[in-house]
Amino acid sequence: MPRSKPLSERASSEGAAEAATDFEDLFESAPCGYLSTDKDGRIIRANQTFASWTGFTTETLATKRLSDLLTVAGRIFYETHFAPMLHIQGSFNEVALDLLTSQGRKLPVIVNAVERRDDAGHPAFIRFTLFVAAERRSYELGLLEARDTAQATVAAERADSELREQFIAVLGHDLRNPLAAIASGVRMLEREKLGERGRTVLSLMEGSVVRAAGLIDNVLDFARGRLGGGITLSRDASEPLEPVLRQVVAELRAIAPDQEVEAHYSINDPVNCDRVRIGQLLSNLLGNALTHGAKDQPVRVEATTNADTLTIAVTNGGAPIPASAMARLFHPFQRGDDRVRHQGLGLGLHIASEIANAHGGSLTVRSDETDTRFTFTMPLIVP
Amino acid sequence: MPAIPFADMPDKSPVLSNNESDIVSRLNARLVGQGTKTMMFAHGFGCDQNMWRYVAPAFEAKFRTVVFDYVGAGGSDIAAYDAAKYASLNGYADDVIALAHALDIRGGIFVGHSVSAMIGMIAARRAPELFSELVLVGPSPRYVDDGEYVGGFSEDQILELLDFLDSNHMGWSQTMAPVIMGNPDRPELAEELTNSFCRTDPDIAKRFARTTFLSDNRDDLGAVDARVLILQCRYDSIAPVAVGEYVHRAVPGSKLVMLDATGHCPNLSAPDETIAAIKAFV
Repeated sequence: MPRSKPLSERASSEGAAEAATDFEDLFESAPCGYLSTDKDGRIIRANQTFASWTGFTTETLATKRLSDLLTVAGRIFYETHFAPMLHIQGSFNEVALDLLTSQGRKLPVIVNAVERRDDAGHPAFIRFTLFVAAERRSYELGLLEARDTAQATVAAERADSELREQFIAVLGHDLRNPLAAIASGVRMLEREKLGERGRTVLSLMEGSVVRAAGLIDNVLDFARGRLGGGITLSRDASEPLEPVLRQVVAELRAIAPDQEVEAHYSINDPVNCDRVRIGQLLSNLLGNALTHGAKDQPVRVEATTNADTLTIAVTNGGAPIPASAMARLFHPFQRGDDRVRHQGLGLGLHIASEIANAHGGSLTVRSDETDTRFTFTMPLIVP
Repeated sequence: MPAIPFADMPDKSPVLSNNESDIVSRLNARLVGQGTKTMMFAHGFGCDQNMWRYVAPAFEAKFRTVVFDYVGAGGSDIAAYDAAKYASLNGYADDVIALAHALDIRGGIFVGHSVSAMIGMIAARRAPELFSELVLVGPSPRYVDDGEYVGGFSEDQILELLDFLDSNHMGWSQTMAPVIMGNPDRPELAEELTNSFCRTDPDIAKRFARTTFLSDNRDDLGAVDARVLILQCRYDSIAPVAVGEYVHRAVPGSKLVMLDATGHCPNLSAPDETIAAIKAFV
């Protein structure tokens, strides 16, 4: 690296000649490379800084073109893109190129250029200023690699998630079909003459079909929710809700014929809801009550409307829900391991809660020594 | 991606389709000038129709002139980019032919710079009625050396370029948002400077580089009905003199003019000499 003249050698009152020498010094030993080329890129003059960076003498440089000092890739870049841009715009800034030193080593630089024109407006010569940018360029390359990695990761995850979504859709479809076949087989057998034992088995089978169908619904809903689809509703206020609820209660009574279910309906207003979803919500709550409630006490279902609210409450007797379980009761996969009779994935209450939310309503629970009561409320009219 | 005419039939004569009039806006084609004969100016890899801004105006008095941007460059419709179609120069020739049809060009003059020289040769062979003159500026049918043939680059060097394009986005991302300061010498350009010159979508630039520098189009040289002028710079690190001479030998009856200019873009660096050479020919 050429050294500039030490400041101590300077006279305090420098003459004009001394100042001119300083301009020469500024050119030769500036902390950046200076190049002047003719309009076609042949080097006319290079400063000492540039010479020391590249390892060529200034005399050797004056026999070369700028593009001779570039890597092949950089040269093609330069000749097909930056040189045209320079001729059209008259300048370019912050162009990243790699110089090749006399040792064949790559020297990353940032280049600015200005084309000067003669009085007739024709290109006369070009001035280049170059800055070594090894660390900056390697930092930028690092950023680019990180960006590429992030993009690749996102793409891979998106592909994974699409695969999962397809898998779940196919799984749901594939599970529902054989289940439907079993259900219709059960219905056909019901018309046959069967013994007492046969009827009992058939009733158990019917209950299992209902329960399996409910589990599939819950799993699919949960998966969709996780994949960002959420619970989708198709609301319809024109059809009555009550028959759907009666159907759900009848199905679950069939599953647990030994348990008493008291149902009371008082739905006197149209309810703007997704009836299938509300049926699923009730099925989950009632299934939960039948599983966890005391077997010797009736489960009560009350579905009522008043001025502006639909309320569905499901109450069962038996031991209260432990305080420790309350906080996470509506979270997925809460199975209450203390309960021997518990079956299923622990998604029922979570999905019921999601359905309530999707309807702009809420699902709450109150549990004490007397009974446990889940209450769903939703506005009759969507705001 | 919208349907592109001829995308599936690169080697057949084009069939008129309803989309033909769209090609004018898709390629950002601009018509200027008088005259019954049309001159079409086509840019090469790395730039856009601005490549011709110092040359095309010189012909406006005598000819109807057309400049345009290939899909992916300048003001073209980038959404129309079709990687499969543009993987070969045939895809670009499709567009040249479609544009010529849309503009009702017959017996016109095609002026192609760099890779466009070969695109013009392909178009002229497929649709001989379109152009009666071809001007090839800095043509190269193959950039990679092959046995006796000297293209100017080794295969490794071209692969290095493609690696460079793949791994180093900096050069291109900068071209997408060049920091362009005012230009005291030419204040009239100041308004349109930012992002307006040689705009290139980085991904398309990579693909175009692949198509341009790894293609072998030597078989597309040969006899054509049109008269052919080759303009060769004395020193050109992209298309060396030997390549210009190869093209001259491979196109029977062609005329080779050695320009005093050096570099790869005489249309920008030496417009007067380029104009004079073309005028002497047409």
